[in-house]
Amino acid sequence: MAEGDWLDIRGWVEALSFAIADNTVGMSRFWRQKGTTADILTELIMAVVVFGLIMTTMLVLLWIERKFFARIMDRRGATMAMRSLWVGEGGEHVDWYGLLPFGTGAPFRWLNRWLNKVAGSDHEVESVARVRDRSYHGIWWMLPGFFQNIADAVKFLTKEWMVPTKADKVVFEVAPFIIISSTIMLFAFIPLGPHVWSANPDLSLLFLMAIFGIAPLGVFFAGWSSNNKYTLIGGIRSAAQLTAYEIPLLVTVLAVAVLSGSMNIIEIVEFQMDMDGWTLFLLPLGAALFLITMIAEVERIPFDMPEAEAELVEGWWTEYGGLRWGLLFMAEYLRAYAACLLFAIFFLGGWEPFGGNLVAQYTAFIPGIAWLLIKSWLMFAVFVWVRASLHRVRTDQILEFGWRWLLPLSLVNLGIAVWLRLGVWQGDTWSPLVIGLITTIAIALFVLLAIDEDPTALEGRERPYSVHVKAGPAGPGTHKK
Amino acid sequence: MAEMWISMGPQHPMTHGLWTLKVKVDGETVIDTEPDLGYIHRAVEKIAELRDFTKFTTYCDRLCYASANTWSHAYIYAVENLLEVEVPERAEYIRLVAVEIQRIASHLMWLGAYCPDVGNLTAFVWCLREREMMLDLLQELGGSRLHYNFPRVGGVKRDLPIGFAQRCRTKINLFLNRIQEYEAMLDESTVFLVRTQGVGYAKPEEMVNHGVTGPNVRAGGINYDVRWAHPYSVYDEVDWEPSVEKPSIKGADCYDRYRVRVEEMQQSARMVLDALDKMPGGADTHHQHGDEAILAKAPLRAPEGTSGFHHFEDSRGESMFYIVGGGEQRGKFPYRNSIRSPMFITIPYASKCMIGYKVADIPAIMGSFDPCIGETDR
Repeated sequence: MAEGDWLDIRGWVEALSFAIADNTVGMSRFWRQKGTTADILTELIMAVVVFGLIMTTMLVLLWIERKFFARIMDRRGATMAMRSLWVGEGGEHVDWYGLLPFGTGAPFRWLNRWLNKVAGSDHEVESVARVRDRSYHGIWWMLPGFFQNIADAVKFLTKEWMVPTKADKVVFEVAPFIIISSTIMLFAFIPLGPHVWSANPDLSLLFLMAIFGIAPLGVFFAGWSSNNKYTLIGGIRSAAQLTAYEIPLLVTVLAVAVLSGSMNIIEIVEFQMDMDGWTLFLLPLGAALFLITMIAEVERIPFDMPEAEAELVEGWWTEYGGLRWGLLFMAEYLRAYAACLLFAIFFLGGWEPFGGNLVAQYTAFIPGIAWLLIKSWLMFAVFVWVRASLHRVRTDQILEFGWRWLLPLSLVNLGIAVWLRLGVWQGDTWSPLVIGLITTIAIALFVLLAIDEDPTALEGRERPYSVHVKAGPAGPGTHKK
Repeated sequence: MAEMWISMGPQHPMTHGLWTLKVKVDGETVIDTEPDLGYIHRAVEKIAELRDFTKFTTYCDRLCYASANTWSHAYIYAVENLLEVEVPERAEYIRLVAVEIQRIASHLMWLGAYCPDVGNLTAFVWCLREREMMLDLLQELGGSRLHYNFPRVGGVKRDLPIGFAQRCRTKINLFLNRIQEYEAMLDESTVFLVRTQGVGYAKPEEMVNHGVTGPNVRAGGINYDVRWAHPYSVYDEVDWEPSVEKPSIKGADCYDRYRVRVEEMQQSARMVLDALDKMPGGADTHHQHGDEAILAKAPLRAPEGTSGFHHFEDSRGESMFYIVGGGEQRGKFPYRNSIRSPMFITIPYASKCMIGYKVADIPAIMGSFDPCIGETDR
């Protein structure tokens, strides 16, 4: 399994580059540089391929964010709906297809009638029915809203680019480029499949983590140079937050590297494929820590204090507009995408199929990249789920959380990884008992922690500071009961 | 970081309206605040002197768009006190239903606006979903979606529509079930608790001294609900009890103010269900416009020197109207109409509550007091 799959993109690109180099440089008097030219060409083409793959598949991320979020929120309306374009509201619409000559509008009329039948308004609560009439309830395969991303991009392109008068213009312009370029650089080291990667140095993990830490610098620049009090506070919050999550993140990643015995991302995946299991089952604590710190790293709720819209308007984003804002937003989603891909690579077996070697011969026709993308999209759904159900914590709270919980726990996790590697690892495989034991403990702990809510707390409203009491009559009025 | 003043407003997500909160911060810590009100002063009290009693009801609706019915009812009660009108009991029950549904809608609007203040957008959409049901009910009564102009001097505009009681019971019961969703979303979320518990302490005695009323003061353990302490209308006949929290020794925090409103929504729902059961003549009968069962005859002119007063439990506190009759000289117009807005008193106090907390707590504390600027600036 570790050898890879049939979708040998890198092999094809290498063959193509060698053919090109043979027929161009190889024919010339610089024929000695033939191999170098082919290598450079391979790298360039692979960089473009990976970039294109990332950019196109990122649309799925945005779509998940829109749709899954809207479903959780039980939202009806513009985010859920594109049907109003066709059938109008309340069944009333401009009968434009009736104006077409020779009855050519009839198919539209049938479609309209059918849509009304399938997704019409018949809910018992008429307000629900009224808004449901504008939404695609139940028709998931039409991918409503998918192309909204393109409309958004066009909107950003056509907007004016403004710089505040008293901003530090050079830094103000440079900051987005630091953020965006470092974000795109991340994907040079993230393999999308066994043969879909653009660079693979021996220490790719270290390189990746170093690049992940560049963007907060750009955020701080942006916050400071905008000459706005909200952006300033946002930038400083970003720097303060950095100290809370970056060290636990690095220690957690170190534990993964220790367990896998490699600092190379592809070898980490191959380690999991060789042992036919996911690191998730060996380091569940590490997976939880990585998820939390990565959410903080990509600045999503509940850790999005630098852009807290309630008190800081938009934080360090406030003064950016137009295409810069769009690119910054894209960079944010790219970072979230990188976080999801890394989680899938480190803990979910990368491009290992679901089921591992047991079903490998039946799933061989699915290339590894598909598995990795599906895993990372599912991870992003978890990110959206977290965003939809949690609130924003304060800066002092994340500092306290980071230093008092995340850092000690990540050290414990590192200790577990070292113990597993030195004491339990048998050289090529794991005893099934180990994985079963650790998974059982993790599930038991999770269940215990998940049901910590006391059911009587809601009824009795008991909490440290306030206890609900039944109110007796007060004041001059008399109650007849 | 050095100390600096931040001017939050007049357009800022925290304000929930049009006003400015100047905040002096030392790094992330708030060390001084200064509210700046009056951006949408419309001289409503002066307008009242140039309208007769019936025409001013619509202006009362517009005092607070989130809670229009309570304001127009507060005014109507003051006018009836001035003109000494006996209101039919059925009309009183219909008014109670309308006001309590409006209170639920207003508190849902508050809860919906409060959750984005502490960073969650999901509960916002959920709350507006339920509020839409309440607005549908009110639309059946008043005819429009936000500003109903429902009460009349001596009764109500129209009787309960046919089938209203059944629809109302369905929706209220659905809403009572949905409250459990909010509690699962908010009360059981540790992040929500750490953002609201122990934040924005307001001492009960200070609140009383400042004149803070309504849910804010009941969150501090002061059992002062006008509907309970000085029952008007038929509040002493329906089945309910005021929601009062027992705060800690430090005072009422944001969580207390959240809890008291959720409790109050449940009590309002209980009141509506009970009032529909106890409605004189039955909730399913429907009288025509102007029937004397729902609308009593009322004089148009008030003699000179007479005055009418009513204090009313608004969604945000105790609102008062004081109207002095005009006599022959002023014709149908009152001589003076004075409005007491609860939020005008609460906002300066709330601004002082946030001193010592973090910048991130400003929307959490300010939002928990449920500011409404329409009634504040009048």
